[in-house]
Amino acid sequence: MTASPLLSVSALRKSFGGIHALDGVSFELEPGEVHALVGENGAGKSTLIKVLSGVHLFDAGDITLDGAPYRPASPHAAKLAGIQVVHQEFNLLNDLSVAENISIEAMPKTRLGLLDRGEMNRRARTALDAIGLSDVDVTTPVRQLGIAHRQLIEIARALQSESRILILDEPTATLTERETERLFEIVAGIKAKGVTVVFVSHHLDEVFGICDRVTVFRNGETIATREIADVTPADVVRFMVGRTLEEAQHAGSETHLGAEIALRVDGLRTTANPTGTPVSFELRRGEILGIAGLVGAGRTEVLRAIFGADPKLDGQVELGGQPVQITGPRDAIAAGIGFVTEDRKEEGLILDMPISANSSLVDLGTISRRGLLNFGKEREMAAQGGARLKLKYGKLSDHAASLSGGNQQKVVLAKWLAKTPKILLLDEPTRGVDVGAKAEIYGILRDLVAQGMSMIVVSSELPELITLCDRIMVMAGQEIQGTLARADYSQERILHLAYGQTQTDERIPA
Amino acid sequence: MSAVDITPHSPEKTSMSIRSVINNAGIGIALLLMILFFSVASEHFLSANNITNILTQITINLVLAVGMTFVILIGGIDLSVGSVMAFAAVVAGKAITLPGLGATELIILAVLAGVLAGMVCGILNGVVSAYWSLPSFIITLGMLNIARGAALQISGAQTIYSFPFAFEEFGSKLIYGVPVVFLVALTLVVIAWFVLNRTVFGRLIYGIGNNEEAVRLAGHPVFWYKVAAFSICGLTAGIAAIIYMARLNISSPIAGIGFELNAIAAVIIGGTSLSGGRGSVIGTLLGAFIIGVLANGLILIGLSDFVRQMITGLVIVIAVILDHYRAKYSAS
Repeated sequence: MTASPLLSVSALRKSFGGIHALDGVSFELEPGEVHALVGENGAGKSTLIKVLSGVHLFDAGDITLDGAPYRPASPHAAKLAGIQVVHQEFNLLNDLSVAENISIEAMPKTRLGLLDRGEMNRRARTALDAIGLSDVDVTTPVRQLGIAHRQLIEIARALQSESRILILDEPTATLTERETERLFEIVAGIKAKGVTVVFVSHHLDEVFGICDRVTVFRNGETIATREIADVTPADVVRFMVGRTLEEAQHAGSETHLGAEIALRVDGLRTTANPTGTPVSFELRRGEILGIAGLVGAGRTEVLRAIFGADPKLDGQVELGGQPVQITGPRDAIAAGIGFVTEDRKEEGLILDMPISANSSLVDLGTISRRGLLNFGKEREMAAQGGARLKLKYGKLSDHAASLSGGNQQKVVLAKWLAKTPKILLLDEPTRGVDVGAKAEIYGILRDLVAQGMSMIVVSSELPELITLCDRIMVMAGQEIQGTLARADYSQERILHLAYGQTQTDERIPA
Repeated sequence: MSAVDITPHSPEKTSMSIRSVINNAGIGIALLLMILFFSVASEHFLSANNITNILTQITINLVLAVGMTFVILIGGIDLSVGSVMAFAAVVAGKAITLPGLGATELIILAVLAGVLAGMVCGILNGVVSAYWSLPSFIITLGMLNIARGAALQISGAQTIYSFPFAFEEFGSKLIYGVPVVFLVALTLVVIAWFVLNRTVFGRLIYGIGNNEEAVRLAGHPVFWYKVAAFSICGLTAGIAAIIYMARLNISSPIAGIGFELNAIAAVIIGGTSLSGGRGSVIGTLLGAFIIGVLANGLILIGLSDFVRQMITGLVIVIAVILDHYRAKYSAS
């Protein structure tokens, strides 16, 4: 390593509530390098980027930029310091022109204080030419451009002010191969101009294609920084996985596994996957089937299609050997399926309503007669559900918003359990839940399968799936990449499938 | 008010009611202060005659506002109620002046025709906005013009009059100084309160306003609940039309212009959130009273109608600002 890093981060810590998002992050950026950040979902990459770009303040640790302490209080401060981020989600104003978007942070003015359109278009032209986008007219509305061009325009915008560090957060997630290549050429050009590029990606082949060094994150910590030339993709995966997980966290008693097939999905196609291999699998009675995969791999889409939350293109669902037609959540619930959604605030809870009202939402029939609510019965149902799940609350009439993340999740569970479903679909069941509540939720789920319920659990946390599931199905690109039995579990193997390592050779040509 | 008299028994229910009482208390206190001020400022304000006046004046707005509360609770808005009221009045007016029928038959026919006409408009508003997930603001703006045009077309732009005597009597009848039409409005408030607070339907109306997706994923037919909310709003516009006819003894195709704004104002002043999910029909009752008392009192103390309009506008703005803080307070 050379003597003077451009940016140096050491022992950085940041927590949200009880969750340690960053728990000792240290790394350095050399001037003019392309530096990859890799790690599982939730390993801390996004939080680090948000700290560097002034969205979050850090709790402890040091960051120095050019030897001076760096602690941006706002995104604006970060930009002034020369750190620019191109986010995963686009921050473009779709109905304005390319030029307007590029100048949005500082519109050029004439002496009269009016918008200087000529100057604005000139600046945009320069910015686009700088990254080789000579074919795009700066007066085109952004809406008319493809996804790839929008991404490049974000990069052009980020670069036109004096950038020293450009952070690209999963820039290739929505790009085709050709577009990705173009992006890489641009990155190479940016690097040649002396700008340092931080590249966050889930695709190891890309990391090995364009980066000089790689830093691996795991559980909020940086595990290692290596020269790309010195490591192989397999080494990086090993760093991401870490020590082999203690075996047998799961009781391992498979006596609860029934012989019957509780759910069979055959030839399922979602709107996200109109052309690929359709999804087919079976779920046994009393089984917990895990679905692993990266964000966007198609796991949530499968659950939503089974439950009828989104229309499916094609495919058969059989419950207990009988084909069922599910055209909406109503059908699914009637057939005995429950669905604990990924985002409890947006889809699960009615935050401004009492705990009791949330608990009874799926099973209003039981607590009412001829459409009239029986509040006594409702409180009874909520109290029972709460006791069963060890819910910690003040009063049942408190709003759901007043509960902690773990307890909110328990209310969502209680809501579905009130109807005693035969099959429970769970999407990220412990997201934003502290460690203690997590263990409690695992216990609850195990009790339920012991009683004969079957479950499908989607999770981005591999330890969770390994602890909880009898089988793990791995998805990537909307397709099933493989299914592992308990005996074959290893984080490494799951990640290999999830990163589509089988396809690596096809992805790198060119 | 019989609506708030239902005494809670268990501690759980008490705390719920206390919260809603506190929410409504602010509006109630504002109303009481207003009444206090006007009764000091004008000796006529508390006279029996004037109280009857106020109750008569707020009746139609209150009826419209009760239906509007349902629509605003699901996060919608209905701009068409004034026009729909005129349309329903013209339809009912045509029915009640049919030749060759007895007075009782005519009145029954007219009430049914008017209420049905209002409901049909409401159902259309609901079906179109819910099916295509379009903003109800625009759809009901369309209905505002359609219903007004239909009212003018059907009536030939003529005022319809000469109704049966019994019908006219109903519009002006008093019981101990309280107009019967106001009692009708009050009954609607009680029914609406019951539906919103004691039934599965009402629970889901609040639920949809708060988190439509959660309600949908819980297996409830959100579409039909939305249609129902707009239908109720159309229904109350139809009832308002009947009351309007009975009070003025005419049915005019140009009645009700701007009434939608007063109804929305009553709901908002009453503390119902424009984004849906939070509010109560008791608040709406108080909101309608505030508008009515302000209108009456300001004129009594000698201010011009223009000043009254400015002050009413100011009250709406203040109510929304207060609601902003209330939302913040209840969120934390």
